[in-house]
Amino acid sequence: MKIYESSFSYDYTFPAVTLAYFLRYPNPYSRHVLSTDVIDRYVDPETQRLHTVRLHLKKSKVPAGILKFLPRGLTGPGGSSQSYILEKSTIDLKEGWMETESKNMEWTGILSVIERQSYRRQPLSEIPSPDLSTDETQGIKETTSCKTVVTFVSQLGQGKILGRKKHEHSKTPEEETHKQGFFAAWSAAGIQRTVELIGVKRTKSALVNGKEGMNVVLERLRNGGVVGVLEGMRRDRLEAMGGEGH
Amino acid sequence: MSASLAPECNEVKEKYDTCFLKWYSEKYIRGNSSTDECEPLFKQYKACLTKALREKGVDTMLNEAREGTVETDAEHLRR
Repeated sequence: MKIYESSFSYDYTFPAVTLAYFLRYPNPYSRHVLSTDVIDRYVDPETQRLHTVRLHLKKSKVPAGILKFLPRGLTGPGGSSQSYILEKSTIDLKEGWMETESKNMEWTGILSVIERQSYRRQPLSEIPSPDLSTDETQGIKETTSCKTVVTFVSQLGQGKILGRKKHEHSKTPEEETHKQGFFAAWSAAGIQRTVELIGVKRTKSALVNGKEGMNVVLERLRNGGVVGVLEGMRRDRLEAMGGEGH
Repeated sequence: MSASLAPECNEVKEKYDTCFLKWYSEKYIRGNSSTDECEPLFKQYKACLTKALREKGVDTMLNEAREGTVETDAEHLRR
């Protein structure tokens, strides 16, 4: 198991960040996200917290370092693949926090990645202003901090390679033996370490892209509201299709 | 707006998304969360999506994955 942590903050108010979170796809940094659906959404009548479950479909390429451990035919040519990501979020607007959790749903035996983010409202008005008369004209009144913790767990080499797929067709004893033979050549712990480290490396760049994408959406939100974000999405889509948007 | 994984659900998804964004930015953010005017649209969208998820065989996997993440507000606070 590996854990990766990082913290940063957005120079936008907490409500704006939560809105941008729901609106973040598509953006120029999310060309790999093919679709986003809302599976469930409700406001808890007692706490007034908004709970949302979404399903994202993302295009991915299995890194060569992981591909070599997989049976052939598990991915497309060159390791091209698609994966479903389940995202769950809870927002408490009164208390000023949002908790999110995203995880892959398939091939969790190869590598299970769970990303948890904690967003917190950071009021700047608590800092005493030397001149009270300028209070109203101060640009930024609050920022929003975001702490990310990503957990990586690989079970490769433990005969659990097919993860959830095992339900679909039970393997014959011969297949099982063959698999054990294949993995016996490697140390299970070594394989897992390698795969987990590849996951960490990928996550580092994915987190940077995620933040850049959020900032694009937040800037559009500030300049043109929700309409501005939707117009930006249309332009992105035209550009992605190779057409001349303007 | 982001696309649905089922193209046949795109139209109703866009209607629901538009409704939600309006409700969220104009009401929920301002502390008024009592009414959920998007519920009828969400039901339509969900009906379309549920069918598509079943056809694609994603429903079982989704239920299994969700079982592992269901937690109450109380559990959330303890984190």
